[in-house]
Amino acid sequence: MAVIICSTPTKPLRAVVPVKGLLPLIAPSLVLVLFFAIPMGMMIGISFQSQTEGSPTLASYSRFFSNDLVLAGLARTVVMSGLVALCVTVLAYPLAYYLARATSRWRTVIFALAIAPELAGVVLRTYGWLIILEDRGFINSALIWTGLITEPLPLSKNLFGVVVGLTHVILPFGVLSLLTSLQGINPNLEKSAQILGASRLAVIRHIILPLSVPGIVSSFLIGFTMAASAYATPALLGGAGFKVMATMVYEQVLFYLDWPFAAVMANVLLILMLAAGFIGSRLESRLHQKLHL
Amino acid sequence: MRYTALCAPAIVSMVLAANGHAETLIVNSYGGPYETIIRERIIEPFEARFGIKVIYDAVGSASQDYAKIKATNGRPGFDVVVMTASQSLEGCKEGLLEEFSPEEVPNLEHLSSVIAGVAGPCGAVHEVQYLSLLYRTDKLAERPNSWNALLDDGLKGKIILPTFQNVMAAYLMEIFSVAHGGDLLENIDPGFAAMAKLAGQSIGFEQSSSVMETYLKGGDVWAMPFWNGRAQLLVDSGLPVDYVLPKEGSIPLVATLNVPKHAANRDAALKFVNFFLEKSSQEAWVTGYKVGSGRIDIEVPADIRAKQITTEADLKALLLPDLAAVATRLSAWGERWERDVVAAAK
Amino acid sequence: MNRLLTYLFRTALAAILAFITLPLVVVVAASFSPTSAVTFLPSEWTLQWYAALWDSRWLDPFLLSVELAVIVSLASGLLGVLGAYSVAYAKCPGHTAIMALLLSPMSVPQIVKGVAVVLFLSSIGLYDLLGTPGLVMAHIILTLPYVVRMAATAMFGFDKRLDRAARILGASVTQRIRYVLLPLIRSGLFSGMTFAFIISFNNIPLSVFLVRPGQTTLPITVINHLEYSLDPVLAAVNVASLLFILGAIILFEKIGGFSAQFHGGSK
Repeated sequence: MAVIICSTPTKPLRAVVPVKGLLPLIAPSLVLVLFFAIPMGMMIGISFQSQTEGSPTLASYSRFFSNDLVLAGLARTVVMSGLVALCVTVLAYPLAYYLARATSRWRTVIFALAIAPELAGVVLRTYGWLIILEDRGFINSALIWTGLITEPLPLSKNLFGVVVGLTHVILPFGVLSLLTSLQGINPNLEKSAQILGASRLAVIRHIILPLSVPGIVSSFLIGFTMAASAYATPALLGGAGFKVMATMVYEQVLFYLDWPFAAVMANVLLILMLAAGFIGSRLESRLHQKLHL
Repeated sequence: MRYTALCAPAIVSMVLAANGHAETLIVNSYGGPYETIIRERIIEPFEARFGIKVIYDAVGSASQDYAKIKATNGRPGFDVVVMTASQSLEGCKEGLLEEFSPEEVPNLEHLSSVIAGVAGPCGAVHEVQYLSLLYRTDKLAERPNSWNALLDDGLKGKIILPTFQNVMAAYLMEIFSVAHGGDLLENIDPGFAAMAKLAGQSIGFEQSSSVMETYLKGGDVWAMPFWNGRAQLLVDSGLPVDYVLPKEGSIPLVATLNVPKHAANRDAALKFVNFFLEKSSQEAWVTGYKVGSGRIDIEVPADIRAKQITTEADLKALLLPDLAAVATRLSAWGERWERDVVAAAK
Repeated sequence: MNRLLTYLFRTALAAILAFITLPLVVVVAASFSPTSAVTFLPSEWTLQWYAALWDSRWLDPFLLSVELAVIVSLASGLLGVLGAYSVAYAKCPGHTAIMALLLSPMSVPQIVKGVAVVLFLSSIGLYDLLGTPGLVMAHIILTLPYVVRMAATAMFGFDKRLDRAARILGASVTQRIRYVLLPLIRSGLFSGMTFAFIISFNNIPLSVFLVRPGQTTLPITVINHLEYSLDPVLAAVNVASLLFILGAIILFEKIGGFSAQFHGGSK
């Protein structure tokens, strides 16, 4: 599919290395089609199956769009993922900026610190957050001990807990996304601006932020999609009242054994994310054209 | 040594060839303490008797195993799997599991018909647990003997409930339904009403049994529903806990051995199933893992008999819902649980 | 004003790093605790759980996970650069749509991808691929979007006139790839491959459908154990594997200036 769209490069001068733009796409497309597109095609087929009858049906789709619990889960997923993407990007930015500019010995240490928690496994770290955030956890115990509060604050088993946990899991990915982009900015630009009398704030606003738009888009996009498809963290930190699409899909596949319905949920999620990704890329190109050359 | 990832199948077949014609069998079950006991009590004696090499596969929960069987259309890569009666029925209906015949698995005849019927023709019942009321002996003044003890004011904020996706939840609802004048399937309003009240008592819902356990161990929770086999593991670990089968009765967790339809080592798998159901194996399992059995002719010590399902009378006292009918209602019950029970917890 | 900004920046950095390390402190404390109740009293701490790790039941899965993560990150690194080149560098028509498609595997819950791959391989009779080969492919699908995205991010920021200049000055294709294109995507590729390594190393939902008995990955071994007990040994497993990988990174750093090589970018 992708290969066909790509058959006539309109601006030959832009393709620098004289390999046509579509050629390198063959290998990744092949892998993607074989191990993703065809299997997902089968799942799309399953979404029209019926538990009872043989003929294709839209029953699972109409069930999806008429069930308030499912739609609430969808809305919750979007809100949660948006918040996580925002928190990840905001928190990752200073760290990535530091890593892109620092030259001291500390740089490696901080880089390692930023990435290492990711290697400690998601499930156990989430248990770690549970111990910190729950009603008798560290934070609440400490606050009650100091007398600041008498009743524990609701820090876990709700949206707050999930956003904290997911932000933590996804933050390193945000850092890597932004780092890639920030390193592409020539530090001489900042220096010359400062020599010419621009304040730090002005440098950030007019040089660094605009030039790191691709990184910001990456970080936001990756944060959003990773959050929307995460399972373990919402299940552990969200509690029974906090169902998101990913947890519902798991339940349908493993517990209710209703695969057509699970496939419907996955398809809706996929279409939603494809749209978000497409809009993100469009926005990025547009901004990029406006800012660059 | 570490080139296994790319040429694993080749290496596996080479190893098999090198071992001559030794038969192998892949058994999928659970990890942790369970694995230690099943290896010692069942697998090693089986290997010694039949000369069949058992490869133990602890990957996945029963529901993940079932999903794998379903996705591979009965060829999941393991030959015997430990699941439950519900999955046995579903898999039989979908044609994913082998139907056992008395010729190939003679020991099936020795199972009590009460419990064998629950699992259908594709499930060989090798273990029976029941939903027990597990409590802290150091926090509760007296031993509870009714499920209604969970509704006592003294336990407010001291109990925890499973999420609906842990099958304990549906069973607990059904037990309360029967205890409060309803039944197991159609008239379940009393059950949901009681669960809503219970939710108000509860500090929350947890999916995983091991997380529920940590609340009890830490003393935040004083009582909760729990499968009695795992409850017994906690008792044996020296915690100040004990469990009871309340007077209103209980629903069992009927664990089954299953053989996927296209298992590679079908004959060895059937031998294993039959071996596990033998009297001596059942006695070894009941005393080793401390659970009940579907065989009522086994001889076990009195202390185990007192706490486990081992007699016809024990089996008859259980509440036995029609699991196929429960399966068709699960989805609706799950939604009702969200609306009535989870909402009541806030 | 500038000094205030610097001060604020440093405080923010410290706070963010504290946030990152906080739950790790709990995991580390848990790994030293004698029972599953986490204790923060060093006097009660024990090393018994670490001693229990030198056992093939933990070592073999760890080695398989590392091996898998290395293969997956190399393969998706290669494929990802090819994909990103077409989309972000050559900007062939429809590149935004292609980009969205290349990234689409990210948006499907992993359990669905797992079931889908198993369904597909089974339906065409390739049962032999279920197991480690299938695991490699499934992980590549999982990680490819991140590498594509990272490499593309690096390429977006590139000034193409540099390459045009190189061509005008008579540089050959290989020279231009080696001296112009590769340095430009270096940091993006490194980030993407780091992503790939981490994602593959931690994966549970896909792996659970594809591992073969006797060849399980570390997270699967951990989760199987977790089903039955929340032992401190699990915390010890994770801390030890983290230290090992960190050690490997530092060793590379000492030998070849690993991060300077990849992240030197703007020095």
